[in-house]
Amino acid sequence: MKKYMLLYRRPEESYSYQPSPEEMEDMFKAWGVWKEKFKKNILDMGDGLNPGGRVLGEKDSITDGPFVEAKEVLGGFSIVEAESYDQAVEVARECPVRNMPGSSVEIREMSGFG
Amino acid sequence: MHPDNQPPQLVEHFFRHEYGRLVSRLAGRFGTSRLTQVEDCVQSALAAALATWTKSGVPDNPAGWLHRVARNALIDQIRRESRSNRSMTETACDLPEGGESPPLAANSGSGAESVSFVPDGVHLPHEIIDPELRMLFVCCDPQLPERTQLIFALKILCGFSVKEISLRLLSNEEAVGKRLRRGRTQLRDVAPELDSPDVDQLRRRLPAVHRVLYLLFNEGYSSAIPDQPIRKEMCTEAIRLAQFLIRHPALHDPQSWALLALMHFHHARLDGRVDGAGALLLLEEQDRSRWDREQIRIAYQCLGRSASGEIFSRYHAEAGVLAEHCFAPSYDATRWSEIVDLYLMLEKTTGSPLHTLNRAIAIAEWKGPAEGLAVLRALSPPSWLLGYYLWDATLGELHRRAGETDKARQYLKRALEAAPTDSEKQRIRRRLECAAAPSQPNQSRGPGG
Repeated sequence: MKKYMLLYRRPEESYSYQPSPEEMEDMFKAWGVWKEKFKKNILDMGDGLNPGGRVLGEKDSITDGPFVEAKEVLGGFSIVEAESYDQAVEVARECPVRNMPGSSVEIREMSGFG
Repeated sequence: MHPDNQPPQLVEHFFRHEYGRLVSRLAGRFGTSRLTQVEDCVQSALAAALATWTKSGVPDNPAGWLHRVARNALIDQIRRESRSNRSMTETACDLPEGGESPPLAANSGSGAESVSFVPDGVHLPHEIIDPELRMLFVCCDPQLPERTQLIFALKILCGFSVKEISLRLLSNEEAVGKRLRRGRTQLRDVAPELDSPDVDQLRRRLPAVHRVLYLLFNEGYSSAIPDQPIRKEMCTEAIRLAQFLIRHPALHDPQSWALLALMHFHHARLDGRVDGAGALLLLEEQDRSRWDREQIRIAYQCLGRSASGEIFSRYHAEAGVLAEHCFAPSYDATRWSEIVDLYLMLEKTTGSPLHTLNRAIAIAEWKGPAEGLAVLRALSPPSWLLGYYLWDATLGELHRRAGETDKARQYLKRALEAAPTDSEKQRIRRRLECAAAPSQPNQSRGPGG
């Protein structure tokens, strides 16, 4: 079993969207389903990342970040455990974050330092 | 908190219903003038819950958790407001601290809760008004247009978003948003009188509340929204809100019970109304075994409780008609004579020619198509009725039963053109098929068979 980090990306504009109570309930249910189905794999549900921030670059440069690649920003992360990379992808495939239009999930094997 | 085994589950629509409950409670406590602010705080509390509970599980008292978070956010905002008010007034003029400060400004120096609330006044226990019930009355303000009252109820008590409301009312977000904005401005001016209402104030507004709840139910029941679950949900919401009315003993009103009865009777038939493909079925086509016996039982109970007082309202009459339909084991065994009387009463109470239309159908079932047609001929239809598809559909059907096929096809074709939805068009097409072409023998439907 290895550890993998799921990195969630979302369009910057999506932060300003206010879901309705009904939509929030649907999201809550969806996360509950994912959490239950993959409870053997999910080590840490992780957290969301609030919008805005800065990036420290080379030397003393500091730019208003975050790095925006293809208009998506990092929105959060989770840490899962899986037998293989493919299995980690299966876990990520059903993550409710993917219901958000314009979102993506990057799956990275963790190095195991420390 | 329960991290793993048996976490508390949330009931269906918890988020949406808690929105309504919390907004009602906090607006009741902090004043209706702060309604928009309260809504924002409740919205953010729900968002916080979504994030926190997803990770750590649902807390033991989810409603209490939400209340705490929303209330704290609101108090924070109010304190910040009064701090900036105070710094403004200090430079503008010498306002004695703790003296003639504006009603919701912080009192300086007092370390304890320095935000003053709308005074509860002295209420005897049986007088205490449920916050949600009170909010229902605030929303149904007769000074607002009826449609705006309905939109407020959907927004505040049902917790629907502007987008969800526009979908359910077959409108657009801009129009709904505009009505809400205008309504909020008006409510800010008049609502404070309902901050500590007495029962008499509420009773005066009861007819308006009945109308809005009836409207809400009707929007679900008769609407052209293709999605059956959404229509059904509107009906259940109407019932849920109508049930607030019977929470307070002093507000008990026979019409509230009649309204509940008719809602439950309609609700009992919701599933039987559609066929497998979701198309609407005529009453005589419906499989009565699919009618919900439990809902009918509740409806009869409400009907029983509505049988008091001296007023026989339109809600009583409608509930009566529905009771007759639900009571009859089959379409043919329906007591049409009773229904005719009830429609006559409805016509007199509301003056609506739609009830005349229904009466004509009931008389036709009872005494034959000629009698039904006679009722319609005696009516001077307003011009809007002449363009109404059900007017043509009814005339078409009665002529068909009377064997006047040419006239039947003429009216039914007109009805087909004017029919608002695919479901309705299908129904009328089926009737047209029954109206055989002129050269063929007709199959007219006689009374009782």
